[in-house]
Amino acid sequence: MPLAASAIRLTVPILLAALGGVFSERGGVVNIALEGMMITGTFFAALGAHLHGPLAGALYAALGGAGLALVHAVVTVTFGVDQIVAGVALNLLAAGVSRFLTIQIFGVATQSPGVSGFAPFSVPGLDRVQALAPLVTGISPFVPAALLLALLGQWTLRRTVFGLRLRAVGENPRAAETLGINVYRMRYAGVVLSGALAGLAGAYLVLEQAHSYLEGMTQGLGFIALAAVIFGNWWPAGALGAAALFGLFEAVSLRIVTSSVPYQFIQSLPYVVTILVLAGFVRRATPPAADGIPYRKDGVE
Amino acid sequence: MRAGGPLLAQAAAPIVAVLAGGLIASAIILAIHENPLRVFALMAAFNMQPGSVASILTSATPLIFAGLATAIGFRVNVFNIGVEGQYYVGAFAASLAAFGLRGVPPALHLTVIVAAAMLGGLLWGWVPAVLRRRRGAHEVITTIMMNYIAFNIVLYLLGLVRDRHLGSTARIRTPLFPPSAQMPRLTPLLNALGAPLPSYSTLNWFLVIALALAMVVWFWLRRSRFGYEVRAAALNPPAAEAAGINVAQIQFVMFLLSGAIAGLVGLSDLLGRTGYFDIDFPKGLGFLGISVALLARNDPLGVIPAALLFGYLDRGAEGIQAFGSVPREVITILEAVIILAIVVSYEIMGRYVRVLRKQEAA
Amino acid sequence: MVPQDAESTAPVLIELQEITRRFPGLLANDRVSLSVREQEIHALVGENGAGKTTLMNVLYGLCQPDGGRLLWRGRPVVIRGPGAALRLGIGMVHQHFMLFPPFTVLENVILGAEPARTGVVALREARAHVAGLADQYGFDLDLDARVEALSVGEQQRVEILKVLYRGAQLLILDEPTAVLGPQEVRALFRNLRRLRDQGRTIIFISHKLDEVLGIADRITVLRRGRVIGTVQAAAARPPMLAEMMVGRPVLMHVPRSPAMPGAARLEVAGLSVSGAGGRLRVREVSFSVRAGEIYAIAGVQGNGQTELVESIVGLRPSAAGRILLAGQDVTALSVAARRAAGMAYIPEDRHRLGLVLAMSARENLILGHHRRDAFPGGPLLDDRAVDRFAAECCREYDIRVAGPGTPALALSGGNQQRLVIAREFAFTPTILIAAQPTRGLDVGATEFVYRRLHQIKDRGLAVLLVSVDLEEALALADRIAVLYNGRIAGEFRRGEADAATLGLYMAGGGPQAGRAVP
Repeated sequence: MPLAASAIRLTVPILLAALGGVFSERGGVVNIALEGMMITGTFFAALGAHLHGPLAGALYAALGGAGLALVHAVVTVTFGVDQIVAGVALNLLAAGVSRFLTIQIFGVATQSPGVSGFAPFSVPGLDRVQALAPLVTGISPFVPAALLLALLGQWTLRRTVFGLRLRAVGENPRAAETLGINVYRMRYAGVVLSGALAGLAGAYLVLEQAHSYLEGMTQGLGFIALAAVIFGNWWPAGALGAAALFGLFEAVSLRIVTSSVPYQFIQSLPYVVTILVLAGFVRRATPPAADGIPYRKDGVE
Repeated sequence: MRAGGPLLAQAAAPIVAVLAGGLIASAIILAIHENPLRVFALMAAFNMQPGSVASILTSATPLIFAGLATAIGFRVNVFNIGVEGQYYVGAFAASLAAFGLRGVPPALHLTVIVAAAMLGGLLWGWVPAVLRRRRGAHEVITTIMMNYIAFNIVLYLLGLVRDRHLGSTARIRTPLFPPSAQMPRLTPLLNALGAPLPSYSTLNWFLVIALALAMVVWFWLRRSRFGYEVRAAALNPPAAEAAGINVAQIQFVMFLLSGAIAGLVGLSDLLGRTGYFDIDFPKGLGFLGISVALLARNDPLGVIPAALLFGYLDRGAEGIQAFGSVPREVITILEAVIILAIVVSYEIMGRYVRVLRKQEAA
Repeated sequence: MVPQDAESTAPVLIELQEITRRFPGLLANDRVSLSVREQEIHALVGENGAGKTTLMNVLYGLCQPDGGRLLWRGRPVVIRGPGAALRLGIGMVHQHFMLFPPFTVLENVILGAEPARTGVVALREARAHVAGLADQYGFDLDLDARVEALSVGEQQRVEILKVLYRGAQLLILDEPTAVLGPQEVRALFRNLRRLRDQGRTIIFISHKLDEVLGIADRITVLRRGRVIGTVQAAAARPPMLAEMMVGRPVLMHVPRSPAMPGAARLEVAGLSVSGAGGRLRVREVSFSVRAGEIYAIAGVQGNGQTELVESIVGLRPSAAGRILLAGQDVTALSVAARRAAGMAYIPEDRHRLGLVLAMSARENLILGHHRRDAFPGGPLLDDRAVDRFAAECCREYDIRVAGPGTPALALSGGNQQRLVIAREFAFTPTILIAAQPTRGLDVGATEFVYRRLHQIKDRGLAVLLVSVDLEEALALADRIAVLYNGRIAGEFRRGEADAATLGLYMAGGGPQAGRAVP
C-alpha cells in the first residue's frame, strides 16, 4: 500500500477520536472513555450498515457514541464522580454491551457479518497526474470529512460563541458562572460531542477498513487519541497534526519490517510514542486549567 | 437514626449498586423475553452445587490479587490501570523462573517463582511510576500504553524461549514446568476437612496466599506508621504535607507495591492449572481487578467479598447460558452497571454523610 | 466628634438604609447607612472583619440583607444576583480576578455578552466597541494580548473594562491596590479619576489609608459591622481615620507574667518569598522570636502573612534569606525536618492544613507525631500508647468527643482547634507558629487559646503569633511587629505603641508613608 494511503489508515480514526477528546477536555471533562465510545461506534456502525448501508452506519455510530457519552456526562458533571473512575467504568460497560448486542443481533459474540463501506472516490483531474495518483485515487469519503471536521472544529473553538464559552468553562468555571454561562450545560455539550466523534472514529474502522465489526478492533486507539489531544495542545488543528504524525509513523515503521526488527516492536511503537509524548519529552503542554476538576455549583470543589 | 445515620448510608451504597445492576439486568432479560426471577433463581441454584463453589473460589483467587493491586494504587489516587500488563509480565517472568530452574526443592522453587513474578510486575509498574513522579505523566494513559506494549513484548520473548520439541502446527508455549514448580491443590486438605471438591478442581494454595495477603495488607495499612501516613496522604494531602508527610514518596511506593502484587495475579492459573505459559494465557483479569477494587471501595479486606461476588456472577453467567438460554453477556453488563452505580452512589452517599456530620457538629 | 460631610450637591446614586446582615454567630453589617453621590469616588475603609466585603456582596446581589433597604436613584430596589446588579448598572471588580488567562483581552471583556450573528462572534464590532471604551477612559491595552502575559495592573484594567462594557454606572472595586505596585497604583488612580470625570461613580474598598486619602472624595469608615462616620477626604487626616478604624482596644484581661526572654529560638534574616504569579509577597523580612516570649505579627490580611508563615514552616520555598531554628539553618530543610528540630505549627486554615477531617479525633492527635519513639512498636503503631496519649490530650485540653471513632468533621470549631492545639503543644516544641489561632472561634474557645498561649510562653517556649486581629495581637504580644506590603513596617515592645499607632502602621501610615500616592 502506498505510504500516504497507509498513513491515513491510522490517522483518520485517531483524528476523529482526538477531536472528540479536544471538545470534551476544552470544557473541562477528561474523557478516558473515548475507547469505549469508539467501541460502541464500531458496533453500531456495523448494525446501521447492515440494515441500511454505510451512511446509516455512520449515523448510528455517532448516535451510539453520543449515547454512551451522555451517561458519562450525567455521572461526572451532574453527580460529580471522579472523571477517571467514571471513564474506566464506562469502558467496561461499553465492551460488555457491545458483546451482548452482537450476540443478540448477529448471533455471534465477536463479529458481525460483513458490511460494505462507502464507495471510494478520486479527486477529479488530479487523478490523472501519475505522481499524485496513489494519493488522490480510491480515497474514502471519511478522509475529507475528517479533515473538514478538524478545520470546522478549530474555527468553532476560536470564533463562535459556543466555542469561546466552552473554552471559558474549561479554564475557569467559576468565573464563567459569574458571567452567566451555564457550566453544566456547556460541559454536557462538550462530552456528548466527543462521544459522537469517537463513534465516527469507530465507524471508519468498521466501514472502511475491516468491513465488519470485530471485537477488540479498536486496539487502544481511543487512548492514543488522548495522547494526540495532548500533543496537539488541545486544539483541533493540533490534533490533526498529531494524528497525521502518528499515522505517518506507523506507516513508515510498517515499511521497515525487515528481518532484523521483530514486528512486535514495530507494533508497540505507537504506544511508546504516546508515553514519550505524555512524559513531555516531545513537547511541554498546558491543558485547560480546570480540566479534570469536577465543578460544583454550590461552591464546594 | 442519629449516630447510625452516616454508617447506614455508607453501608447502603454497595447494596444500592447491586440492586441497580439487578434492575437493569432484569430489564434486559425481559427484553429478550425471559423471566428475570426464574433466571436469577436458576443462577442461585446452579451456583450452590459443589462444583460451582470450587469454580467460584478458583476464579476469585486471581481477582483478589488483581483487586488488591488496583486498590492499593487507587487508595492514594494513583490510578494504576496497568495491572493487566503488569500481571502479564509477571506471569512470563514467573514462567522463566519455572522452567529455567531444575532440580530445586519445591518450596524454594515456588518462592523464587513468586519473587520473579513480583519483580516482573514491579518493574513494569516502575516505568509509569517514575514518569508520573518526575515528569507528571498521567498514569492512566501511560499504564494503558504499557499494557499494550507488554502483550507485544511478551509475545516476542515467548517466541524466543518457546518449546521447540512441539510440531510446527502446535501452538506456541514455553517448555513445561517441572513438578517442583507446581502449586499443590487444596483438594486433599479440603477432602480431609470434610468439604470434598470435585477431583478436577484446580483450586490451589494460592487462594490461601491471596486471603493471607489481603489480611496482611489490611493489617499493615491499619496498624503501621506507614499505613497511617498512607491514610493521611489519601484523605488530605495538604494537611499531610503540613505534618511532614512526603505525599509524593508515598504515592510512588504504593505504585510500585501495586505493580508487585499485580505480578501475582496470573500465578494461580500458571502454577495450578496449566503448567506452562502460552499465547492463550488469560487476559482481562486486570480490568476485572479494577471492578473488584471499585466495588470494595479500595479496602483490602473488602476485596475478598467483592472478588467472590464477581466469581459468583461469572459462574452464574455460565449457568444461565447453558441452562437458561440467556447469554452470559447479560451478567457482564450487570457487572459493569454495578460498577457504574457504585461510583455514583458512593459519591452521593459520601456527600450526604458529610452533610449529616456537619449537622451533628452544629 | 466625627465630622460629617456637608459639601457635595450631586444627586445620590445609591443609598443604603439600615442594612443589616447576620451570619451564624456574627453580625456582619449592623444597620449600615450610607449614601454615594453620582460622580464621586467614595472609599469604604475598615479592618478585617469590619463588614466591608459583606456590604459589597449585598450591593452586588451575592447575598441578601436581613434588614434595611437599598435605594437606586431614590427608588427602592431588590438586587437578587449579579445579573440583576449589572442590569441596574452596578459592576464589581473583585479582589481576586475572574479572568481567563490564556484568552485575549478582547475575549475576556466580551465573554458572556458577545456581539454575535447566528452564533458567530462579530469580532470587528466587538473590537470597535471595546477599543472605543478603552480610548474613552484612557486605558492603554493591547486587545489581542493574552491576559496571562499582562501585568497585574493591566489585568485589573481588563476587569474594569469588563464592567464598563456591560454598561456599569457604579463601579465597586474591592481592595484594588492589594496586588499593585506603586507605579500601577498611580496608573489606576489616573484611570479612576478619568472615569469619575466622565460620569461614573466609584466605590473603593480598602484598608490602606494613604492611598484612600489620595483618591477618594469621601470616606466612610466601618468598624465591627457599624458605620463610624463619613468624612470629606479633604478634611481627613490619617491618625483620625486610624482611630476610627481601630477604636479603643478592649484588652482581654488575661493574667500574665512579665516576659523573661531567653535565647532566640527562631531567627528570620532577609527573608523574601514569592507568591502566586511570581511576585514577591514577603520582602527582606528580618526578626527573631526568643524563648519565653510571644512575638506577634499584625497586619491586614493580604500583606504577605500567609506566604511568610508558609515559608517558615517549609511549605513554600523562599526566594532569598535564611531561617534558623534554635541556631540551626533550616532554610533548605523539609517540613518533617523542621518539625524534628522542634517546630510546631497551628495553621490558619485548620480544615485544609490542620486536620484530616475524615479521620477520628484520636488519629488527628498523632498527625505529625506518628513516627515518634514515644509510641513504641517499631514499624507498627502501638494502639494502647496512642489511646493513652489521646485520652490525656482530651482531658487536659477539654476536647469533647462523642466516641473514639468520631471523625474530626463532626466536632465543633472550638473542639477542632483544641485538638490542633493539644497536638501541637505536645512533645515540648521549641517554637510554636500560630497563624490566626482564634479564627472562627467563639469567646469561650478564644479565651481558652489565649490562656494556653500564655501558659506555654511561661514555660519557656517561643511563640510566633500571626494575627489580623489587632486586639488579639495587643492582648497577647510581648513584642509586636506590623507587616505591610510584605515588609516589617515597625516593631514595638509591649506598651510602646497603642492601637491607634499600630492601626496607622497597618494602613500604611508608618515611616514609609512619605512615599504615598498623589
